[in-house]
Amino acid sequence: MNEQTHERAQRLIAQQHLEILPSEDAKWLNAHLAECESCAGEQRQLRESLSALRAMHVVLPLNLASRTQFRVRMRAEELREKEPAKKFVWAIAAVSWALGVSTAPWVWRGIEWLGQETGAPKLLLQAGFVLWWSVPPMIAAWAALSDKRVGQPQRTE
Amino acid sequence: MTDDAKALAQRLKRRDPELLDQLIEQYQFRLFRYLLHLTANRERAEDFFQETWLRVLERGHQYDGKWKFEAWLFAIARNLVLDWHRRKKPQSIDSLAGPEEEATFDVKDEHSESPLDQVLHAEQKSSVQQSLERVPAIYREVLVLRFQEEMQLDEIAGVTGAPISTVKSRLYRGLDALKVAMTPS
Repeated sequence: MNEQTHERAQRLIAQQHLEILPSEDAKWLNAHLAECESCAGEQRQLRESLSALRAMHVVLPLNLASRTQFRVRMRAEELREKEPAKKFVWAIAAVSWALGVSTAPWVWRGIEWLGQETGAPKLLLQAGFVLWWSVPPMIAAWAALSDKRVGQPQRTE
Repeated sequence: MTDDAKALAQRLKRRDPELLDQLIEQYQFRLFRYLLHLTANRERAEDFFQETWLRVLERGHQYDGKWKFEAWLFAIARNLVLDWHRRKKPQSIDSLAGPEEEATFDVKDEHSESPLDQVLHAEQKSSVQQSLERVPAIYREVLVLRFQEEMQLDEIAGVTGAPISTVKSRLYRGLDALKVAMTPS
């Protein structure tokens, strides 16, 4: 038996733990293992290791489930309380945006008039107009961001 | 999508507290064990365990039932660990379980029949546990998902975000690494 034969056997030993071997390969492997004590030993060792791995247990921290359930319920409560407020913020943003669009021509005229009366620079007037338009999206973004708050790992005890 | 998965997805979307209680009970052992393998630290695993369930509550509407629930759950847990680790220091998952951090698994055997069996099993598992700790985290993770969680290759690919071919190759390397780690020096 040469090195390549053992390498093939070892590859198949690993493969049979991941997928079903083609029948030809399975037959070849069985025949090889019947003759080769070293490869048979490797197969036994791997099988034992994996069976011990499957049977490995961990002891859970005390009351892990109940503490987690409590924390999850508290968070669910917070989310429920936030729900109407969030809808309200979105409604305000929507109404504000609709008003912004529908009143844009009058707002622009108003700003122009203000500019003529006060002699304010045009850049300032344009900035004011942009601000008028950007307030609703800013509110919407704030509402959206507060919705997507990402929790950091925290100790609970 | 099966009817069960559909019902689960709907209840998650509604943030059904009874369902979440039930899922936490049901998956506590598996999720904690996975996190322990991933972080090699009990306290951290516990933190991430709780964070994972909070995330399930908040993002339950994103579960579409295409995957098994446990694969989705493990993917959330894994992403939380990776996000945290990236924020801490941009590194790969390999660094999650450095040699400086001892994984303190408390091993118990449910099936032993006698004190002698208990001792023998404990010794055997302890040796496997130590061997597993010597396997690089990137391979250890797929070994755990495959042989402890009994996940299919496509589910592991879903959890790890890696193509199936990569998962396969990691599993082969993981088995090699486990074999080397198990060989008495």
